[in-house]
Amino acid sequence: MREVVEKVDLAFEVNGDSVRLAVSPDATLAEALRDDLELNGTKTGCEEGECGACSVLLDGKVVNSCLVLALECGGKSVVTIEGLAREGRLHPMQEAFVNHGAIQCGYCSPGMIMTAYALRLENASPTEAEVRRALEGNLCRCTGYRKIIDAVLSLNNGESRHD
Amino acid sequence: MSAMKMYQAPRTLEEVMRAAGETGATIFAGGTDLMPRWSKEIVPRPAAVVDIKAIEGLSGIEVTDGEICIGACTLMSGLDESAALRRAAPILAEAASRIACPQIRNRATLGGNLCNASPAADTAVPLIALDAVVDVAAPGRAGATSREVSITDFFQGPGKTALEPGEVLTRVRFKRPAAVATWAWEKFGTRPAMEIAVASVGVIVEASDGVIERARVAYGSVAPTPLRGHGAEAALVGRRLTDETIGGCVAAARGEISPISDVRASAGYRREMVGVMLRRMLEDARGG
Ligand SMILES: Cc1cc2nc3c(=O)[nH]c(=O)nc-3n(C[C@H](O)[C@H](O)[C@H](O)COP(=O)(O)OP(=O)(O)OC[C@H]3O[C@@H](n4cnc5c(N)ncnc54)[C@H](O)[C@@H]3O)c2cc1C
Ligand code: FES
Ligand code: FES
Repeated sequence: MREVVEKVDLAFEVNGDSVRLAVSPDATLAEALRDDLELNGTKTGCEEGECGACSVLLDGKVVNSCLVLALECGGKSVVTIEGLAREGRLHPMQEAFVNHGAIQCGYCSPGMIMTAYALRLENASPTEAEVRRALEGNLCRCTGYRKIIDAVLSLNNGESRHD
Repeated sequence: MSAMKMYQAPRTLEEVMRAAGETGATIFAGGTDLMPRWSKEIVPRPAAVVDIKAIEGLSGIEVTDGEICIGACTLMSGLDESAALRRAAPILAEAASRIACPQIRNRATLGGNLCNASPAADTAVPLIALDAVVDVAAPGRAGATSREVSITDFFQGPGKTALEPGEVLTRVRFKRPAAVATWAWEKFGTRPAMEIAVASVGVIVEASDGVIERARVAYGSVAPTPLRGHGAEAALVGRRLTDETIGGCVAAARGEISPISDVRASAGYRREMVGVMLRRMLEDARGG
């Protein structure tokens, strides 16, 4: 149980929408997304930076939302897994994960997909070694990683519909 | 349970020092050392934190012919991606690129890595090898004053630095290594990804006609602080890289470190690994 403290206003952008919230000073970005905005696609596992389940984009860079204070995000832009689909159609990275069986229990998938998405913003056709390095901070207890890596690599040749 | 009641992100150093000095707010940079400790309740959350990332001039890398100057809030990803730093001081760019994963490197700052003062801080070993100094801003009556501290004096023990309460590390500076200098840095961990160093070694050597004129050796995770290898350096300077020199240097290194046994490795294993890494680096430096 945490002591109740006075909440503070926070204005930022989430998945393209302007959002205003009142958060406690010690709330993490992961907590603000999940508890206040009910964007529960972002998962938390370890809450100490080890597992990557909470990965989101903050001003275009992938970060662990469990290690960001919500109040740090004032005026910034956040993209979560809920922000990738367009007009009811999955993003190509999401489709690739589905098509390659890269999802089993699915707990790691939002974080994996956000990290892989961030990689491709900077490197449109990563090598396998680059994909493996980019995903070093994302744990998966089910798939053995091979299918995840194949899914990410499959976009190198495919065409991307959104970007 | 403690609660954090205040978060501030001022734009000036004076405001940070006031918050940190007078109200005891915890200085907050990337939060990658601080926040895991709070979420696991290893330490209580402080009542107030003061974020230093909005301060102008605390981020960025300046490379001139003579000197390299890096702001405390420069990210590990910034060090990794800087082409200028890769050219001028690749030993530091390489160490930064091997910290954790992209998510952490996009948040972790150079200043935080040093101020956290872990014996395993990965940027400390290259910075000792580069003979770096840090600039520390101290609160003074007429605004902030600045003092310079050598990187070896900065580390005083596990989690302990030369910083007084309210002081802020603002920059890290070092002379650009000679173009002829050869360098090596390696960390050894228990797995290839997301590893905290079991032991690490950094070396910068300048030789002329095969004779070593200047050597800097540093170790991580094998003493209460990141450590400069004075003994190993003395075993190199004035000599050629013969088998005998390398053997002498390795023996000196094994003698001057004081590793402990913990969850990651035993003291004996750490001592062995420092010897192995240093020997390989010196053999590589002479070409086999
Ligand atoms: C999953 C994970 C993996 C990691 N892997 C590695 C690794 O491989 N190698 C490694 O070296 N580290 C590693 N770390 C540790 C951490 O990421 C680094 O030490 C990082 O550089 C800390 O910087 P920060 O900006 O996040 O510090 P913060 O957490 O913000 O601060 C750390 C400490 O320094 C103080 N401080 C910060 N900046 C200043 C300043 N400018 N002046 C005065 N005081 C200041 C703070 O008050 C605090 O006490 C890892 C951490 C995690 C969570
Ligand atoms: S929950 Fe954030 S990294 Fe594990
Ligand atoms: S699919 Fe279950 S953890 Fe990755």
